[in-house]
Amino acid sequence: MGGDSKYLGLAYVAPYALGLLLFTAFPFLSSLYLSFTDYDLLSSPEWVGLDNYERLFTRDRTFDKSLRVTLTYVAMTVPLKLVFALFIAVVLNYRLKGINLFRTAYYVPSILGGSIAIAVLWRYIFAGDGLMNMILMAVGIEPINWFGDPENALFTITLLRLWQFGSAMVIFLAALQSVDKSLYEAAAIDGAGPWQMFRNITLPLITPVIFFNLIMQTVHAFQEFNGPYIITQGGPLKSTYLLPLYIYDEAFKDFDMGYASAISWVLFAIIMVLTLLAFWSSKKWVYYAGDERN
Amino acid sequence: MKLTTLSLALATTALVTSAGAEDLRMSWWGGDSRHAATQAALEACGAKHGHTISPEYTGWSGHFEKLTTQIAGRTEADLMQVNWPWLSFYSADGGGLADLNKFSDTIDLSNWEASQIEAGTMNGALNGLPVSTTGRLFAFNKTTWDAAGLDLPTTWDELLAAGPVFKEKLGEDYYPFEAAALDAALIMTLYGTQRSGNPLIDPKTNSIAWSKDDFVSAIEFYGQLVDSGVIPAWQDVASAGNVPLHENPKWAAGKIAGTYQWDSTYFKISDPLGEDQELVYVDLLGQAGMKTPGIYRKASMVFSISANSDKQQAAAEVLNCLLNEPEGVSALGSTRGVPASATAREQLLSADAIQPIQIEAQAKVIEAEGPGIHPMMEFPSVRSAMQDNLELFAYGELDASEAADEMIMAIEEALEDIRS
Repeated sequence: MGGDSKYLGLAYVAPYALGLLLFTAFPFLSSLYLSFTDYDLLSSPEWVGLDNYERLFTRDRTFDKSLRVTLTYVAMTVPLKLVFALFIAVVLNYRLKGINLFRTAYYVPSILGGSIAIAVLWRYIFAGDGLMNMILMAVGIEPINWFGDPENALFTITLLRLWQFGSAMVIFLAALQSVDKSLYEAAAIDGAGPWQMFRNITLPLITPVIFFNLIMQTVHAFQEFNGPYIITQGGPLKSTYLLPLYIYDEAFKDFDMGYASAISWVLFAIIMVLTLLAFWSSKKWVYYAGDERN
Repeated sequence: MKLTTLSLALATTALVTSAGAEDLRMSWWGGDSRHAATQAALEACGAKHGHTISPEYTGWSGHFEKLTTQIAGRTEADLMQVNWPWLSFYSADGGGLADLNKFSDTIDLSNWEASQIEAGTMNGALNGLPVSTTGRLFAFNKTTWDAAGLDLPTTWDELLAAGPVFKEKLGEDYYPFEAAALDAALIMTLYGTQRSGNPLIDPKTNSIAWSKDDFVSAIEFYGQLVDSGVIPAWQDVASAGNVPLHENPKWAAGKIAGTYQWDSTYFKISDPLGEDQELVYVDLLGQAGMKTPGIYRKASMVFSISANSDKQQAAAEVLNCLLNEPEGVSALGSTRGVPASATAREQLLSADAIQPIQIEAQAKVIEAEGPGIHPMMEFPSVRSAMQDNLELFAYGELDASEAADEMIMAIEEALEDIRS
């Protein structure tokens, strides 16, 4: 590469690199520094060493509760969403008349799903006298206190996230369509049924995509904010008080930026550990074409 | 030479007393009617003083967070609407916002009473001018109460007695009153203040002024309101998605027939009611042996000028126009309640621009007695300390004594945090 080309290349990547440094790397490292300070936004940060982390792990009952709620939410949401998205993708993979319309229709909730308006709509659907309870009563089932009962509230928020399965579904659909059809033909000749083909051909071949969706959905679930913020405000009894809500409250209601940064870094560490675990385990269950293990 | 010196002196004087044409920004929160009125007022005042003012407005939700972030980043508007309790957060030493005393040549401060000026003063600096005074009042849907065959209550006992009557005469889904979350915590505060004669937080010591017994009785009183069918249970309010009162269809339909709200929110709570329904303010409900009516009264909001603005003189001209001059006062009307400025109040009254019910409500707020409200009562951490533990009581997770212990501990922790 000539000198001019080298500089031209650098010029091309400079905007992105600058943006990354200014808007990602700098805030990222700043928050690490702030997590060791007492900082209320209006006065200068004051170094407090590990005080914030000590308070977090030894004295903060709200953090314990919020962490438990968050882990429960992730454990419920991610598997359910992956299974549901894969199921719908398999259905939409059939060549039926008007299938593109259905594919679009199933994807639409994901475009709308993260919005405030949909959270408000969800609030009305699952209200005590909302649509969902009307349906239940119409078929003779007792109405459910979806948001007011701490046992149900988190599940109701989970349903909102589950409804936004479209992006995972589209990725699954693309993966399903890339599976070599000759494998199914060979399996059919050998007498394999649909379930055997799905289990022994489809699933192994789309494991890289399952792995990708697993990571992405896990990260998204840990970052859930809009639904519980709009619908339940973390209640009742903090049963939907996910860590992002706690971070927001500490940062922008109590203006304890140092402490909020410490919680953010603990959340980051949890996501990082789980991601590393997923990568480590992927060696045992993810199949890549051209892999030496084949 | 003498002529040059004289010219310079005149020019300097002119700069001190009047600003050249400036591009300013003003921020506030509110509803649609306030947004429209304020924009009209800014246009009128801008035209009068030769400035251009860009409006920056939002709803209430999130405004504190936005404004604080702006102030931290020194990007706040030149002129700001600030909630009175926030003054102690932004400017505990008086230096966080501009001292309006420096603009007393521009702003006619004689329109405010000494106590109002004091409310906006932090450490000797006048950081905000009260726009209006507000207080929590009881408002009842008289139409529904009439349908139940009851007179509007004057005591807590009468309110408690109304619960079963509403159920019997009107139906199980009718309630004479409502209170959950913050409103429940403020009802609790009122009851305890009346009983003890003390504010929950002592303004002199910045610490809790109630005994544990005061907390217990106030918490138990909340339980009585629920048990008597006077207010919907916390669980039921949560079940409906915690919708604000003015968005609650049951309020609009008259099925919830009473509330405890700022008098300045009259239009917000009366607008959803049908024309056949009458909303009436009553004096604060009382209890036997109470030591004070316990009015929760405060400057509803103040107008402040940014300490970081380099156009403070121009901002002061606009501020004075909005609060004292006919053009601004006329355009703003009563969208921020009955004005605190004497001139503005007289102008609007003589023009019949304030509804009689607003004047009546304001009189109740001004005339009622009660200990001063500590700004820390409105800090989110103090409010959370009360609401979270009252919620635990409401859900049966704690009894009244345990809830009182937890509440005291949490409030003390919050106050210690704020003090430090």
